[in-house]
Amino acid sequence: MAELSALEQEVAQLIIDALNLEDVAVADIEPEAPLFRDGLGLDSIDALELALAISRQYGFQLRSDDENNAQIFSSLRALSAHIDQHRAQ
Amino acid sequence: MSKAWFQQRERGSPLMIGIILWVAQRIGRPVARLLLWPITGYFLLTASEARAASRDYLTRLHGHPAHWWQVARHIHSFSATILDRVYFLSGQFAHFDFHYHGLGLLEQEMAKQRGAMMVGAHLGSFEVLRALAIEGMHLPMKVLMYQDHNQYLTRLFNRLNPEVAASVIPLGGAQSLLAAKEALEQGMVVGMLGDRVAESEKLTRGEFLGSETAFPAGPALLAGVLQVPVLLVLGLYRGGRRYDIHIEVMPPMPATTTRQEREQAVQAWTQHYATRLEHYARMAPYNWFNFYDYWRT
Repeated sequence: MAELSALEQEVAQLIIDALNLEDVAVADIEPEAPLFRDGLGLDSIDALELALAISRQYGFQLRSDDENNAQIFSSLRALSAHIDQHRAQ
Repeated sequence: MSKAWFQQRERGSPLMIGIILWVAQRIGRPVARLLLWPITGYFLLTASEARAASRDYLTRLHGHPAHWWQVARHIHSFSATILDRVYFLSGQFAHFDFHYHGLGLLEQEMAKQRGAMMVGAHLGSFEVLRALAIEGMHLPMKVLMYQDHNQYLTRLFNRLNPEVAASVIPLGGAQSLLAAKEALEQGMVVGMLGDRVAESEKLTRGEFLGSETAFPAGPALLAGVLQVPVLLVLGLYRGGRRYDIHIEVMPPMPATTTRQEREQAVQAWTQHYATRLEHYARMAPYNWFNFYDYWRT
């Protein structure tokens, strides 16, 4: 299994907490696997809740008109990289 | 085997739809309405699934087996509302006699400028509400919907009114509800339909006309996550030129913490919605436009 960076572990925990994924552990989330549909099976309500949790924890907003959204939400690794670039706190 | 609505092929040939649209726009509503009867006859004979669904619904509603003429009236009422879309989308509201019930509730919410959700149903015409809101009242409005269903008809109607077409936020993407949140933050109204279940959606259960079925959990979840007021809105067709617009306030969705709490809150909220739908379905029975096996799940 691929190693998670400290931030990736933190974001994985945030996903689990924000979405009440009681039966998922940080170790279960593959860093390169899709978060939506096939992978973790998240949907658009989950995306919204996750975006709200990210803005609370890291102090910046994910926007619907960001043309990189498909990339940003594509995996834990991509999402963590985006947070790393844009975080205000 | 019965198919879900999103798997059904579009009904009616492009030629037939083209003829009706031409008559509707060039000759007028009274003549176009005469064409609705042969169209109703055609669907009554060929659309066996729609016919069975109508009969099932009317039988549940009335508590005794439905007659074929009631099924015919049901299909006719549906085709009449589709015809009237042509006029709504081109802003020709003068053809109609609108009766409003609860319009003040919408005005109150808009005055607060914090956005509101409008949840409708395939009961009556959601299009009349959309067109009235955007064309008639100039309400800033977005509508969350699946886009590729009924493609030919959708393209035609989109051409009739690009402004209404542009108000759609397509459902299905990771960013769909982020767009809805941003619209609400700008004080806009975000409309959606709460009675049909699509693939890969969170579901809840509700009782409607005496039996349980699946309802989408999306509207309740969205209201809970964003903590915005929700209005139930229906545009019921009452025959002739009359549409009754009903607006009422939905109970607030509590902000919940645990998964179990949330499931219960979603179910209670959705049951309130289903109970109100039943109330209006009994008031205007021929307005139920879900022509598939609604109770299959």
